[in-house]
Amino acid sequence: MWGRIGRLAWWLAALGVSFSSRAAAEPLRLRADAVSEVRAPTGLVILQGQDKKYPWLDAEALVWAGARTDPTADVLVLTLKLRAPRGWGDLRLGRFVFSTGAIRPLALDGVAATARAPWGLSGEVFAGVPVVPRFAISTHDQAAGGRLAQRIASRATVGVSYTEQRARGVLSERELGADLALVPAPLLDIAARGAYDLVSPGIVDGNISGATRFGHFRVELFGTHRSPSRLLPATSLFSVLGDFPSQVLGGAVRWEAAPRLDVMLTGGGQDIGGELGGYATLRGTLRLDEDGLGRVGLEVRRQDVPLSQWSGVRATVSEPLGDHWRVSSELEVAAADASSDRGAAWPWGLVALGWRSRKGWEASAALEAGSTPRYRFEMNGLLRVSRTLEVP
Amino acid sequence: MNRHPSLVLVISLLLGACAGVLGIRPTPSHPFEHRAHVLKGVGCLSCHAGVPSAGDSDGMHFPVTADCVRCHTTPHDARTCENCHGEAHVRGGAELARRHLKFEHRTHMPAAQGDCVRCHVEVGVERPEALRPKMAICFGCHQHEDQWRTRDCDGCHVDLAAEDTLPTSHLVHDGDWGREHGVRAASARDLCASCHSERYCAGCHGVGVVPALPSRLTFDDVRLSGLHRAGFRSRHALEARGQPGLCTTCHSERSCMDCHATLGVAAGSANQSPHPPGWLTTSRGGGQHGTQARLDPMSCASCHGGAGEKLCVDCHRVGGPGGNPHGRGFSSTKDKLTDVPCRLCHGIP
Repeated sequence: MWGRIGRLAWWLAALGVSFSSRAAAEPLRLRADAVSEVRAPTGLVILQGQDKKYPWLDAEALVWAGARTDPTADVLVLTLKLRAPRGWGDLRLGRFVFSTGAIRPLALDGVAATARAPWGLSGEVFAGVPVVPRFAISTHDQAAGGRLAQRIASRATVGVSYTEQRARGVLSERELGADLALVPAPLLDIAARGAYDLVSPGIVDGNISGATRFGHFRVELFGTHRSPSRLLPATSLFSVLGDFPSQVLGGAVRWEAAPRLDVMLTGGGQDIGGELGGYATLRGTLRLDEDGLGRVGLEVRRQDVPLSQWSGVRATVSEPLGDHWRVSSELEVAAADASSDRGAAWPWGLVALGWRSRKGWEASAALEAGSTPRYRFEMNGLLRVSRTLEVP
Repeated sequence: MNRHPSLVLVISLLLGACAGVLGIRPTPSHPFEHRAHVLKGVGCLSCHAGVPSAGDSDGMHFPVTADCVRCHTTPHDARTCENCHGEAHVRGGAELARRHLKFEHRTHMPAAQGDCVRCHVEVGVERPEALRPKMAICFGCHQHEDQWRTRDCDGCHVDLAAEDTLPTSHLVHDGDWGREHGVRAASARDLCASCHSERYCAGCHGVGVVPALPSRLTFDDVRLSGLHRAGFRSRHALEARGQPGLCTTCHSERSCMDCHATLGVAAGSANQSPHPPGWLTTSRGGGQHGTQARLDPMSCASCHGGAGEKLCVDCHRVGGPGGNPHGRGFSSTKDKLTDVPCRLCHGIP
């Protein structure tokens, strides 16, 4: 208990130091949200802020505290960023999310540095301890890695990355990655990334996407490859089950059907460990005014793979009432093909009323109700009060 | 058709209504005709007085009714002119520029030699979308290649992340962006970071963020995009099984159990297995559990990970009744006698 309080005090002290000096030119921005749910006695206060005392220094934090059964708190972000003049490099210290190239997002307590050369070469390195929620610390967990990238004219960027993680001192991940961004023609862009497992040799995951625009259309073709056993840490017993990859080959078409109506169709064929299937989503958004402040949306989904066969439909509507108020509603029904003890269809709905002042105050209240795998009928009330402050 | 005039009338009315709703028929407004005034030889400064000496923190120099009636001595309406002729989105764009950009007209006027249209090119368009110059216009004179390459935007932008505006000329976020953003961001982390703060990424990718998920906080801002929206709690098992490995790209294998424990929701009780009949049998193949585990090992690891691995080891250890669990394509650089997890089955008991 005292250890947790001590760690919380340390984080708060660090937060205080980060914001102790206010900016001369840039404002200090603070935001506080208080959220409460009726279903469970949950309170949540989120404080976030950003400050730029000097052009070469950024400070940023996002902490939350709440109570459901026991009071608890956590720090999601607490970062100091030091920047070299003219952007030739930067250094991040503290708690942050690191992701670049083929390195998947990693919440880290540590340090990350970036250096950029004038001829388009850039290097990024990071080292630290993977974050454990609720102020817990696992001192024998470590993560380190980096990425080297080269920009080729303004048409392409290629990068290679390496990452290594240890859990309780034991090697849990060692990957080599590569990434590519390519613009072969003005309206065509291609991006790809992939990671190769060096512990259990084979491709961990890979993504490729190519998109083009013409007229009122944007067409994207994409492919993904994931090896679920290799995505688990190599210290897990379930990482030894072999290579049964999940693969998707699909496309997405976005059509500006009318000045205020966008339609998007996404779908793909799936191969999950040799079993074939597919999915499709059709989504339409209609803006109710020129600025898109009011919106109506409709989405229809279908997934049909051996492990998951279900359909869903969702509708949203949001409309401002004057300058300060907004009313919103969202309805969804998801239905599984096969009934089980979790039920077969789960309707869900929400009605919300929001208010926003010109002075940075916001308040929202909502009522949500639905059927879940746990309860045949469930109702919940949500309340949020937020305040945004800018201190010049 | 002539026999059904009422039907024709109804269809026409419906089409007319749809055209309005879909934005095909322009809304009846009377935007200020910049082009007509320029063609008549009215100088910009006749209405926008004070611009040549305007600094970064000066007013907006929008003309008011008094400026209009100097020429239009008999206005057609007694109300203020900007009530109808000042379009909200045009003024809004200019106000955003004042707030978010470091810019002084007074330092630009000499270089432009008083030619406002050199930057405000949309003045010459019949119905301009915005009169604020696009960034490409700035780049026409200012060679910012170094700053662009190193994402050093602070020279002109007060705080890019705080602008909260979607890019419209480059990196347009218009596809199935929730799925696509990862691969698009892979080679351009610093480009993303020029607008998105650490907090923005941590909102979804931070560890243990369930109470602070953006979708949970902004429940009044309903939208179709986003992974964890609406009745996600009910359908998350179906979605996870439909995309094996997707959850693991952000969540650890312990996330499922941690969340279920926090909410007091168990997959099964002590007396009831959550698995279907035929899950584990003594026949050859052992039932469905082996196949299902290979397709979606995270589901197994979420409950049976850590100390729970003993359940698997008891059967699948070397010489055990469960046989060899390694599927096709398995190989490892680990030492099977000493390294974790190999030694659990291969090591000396």
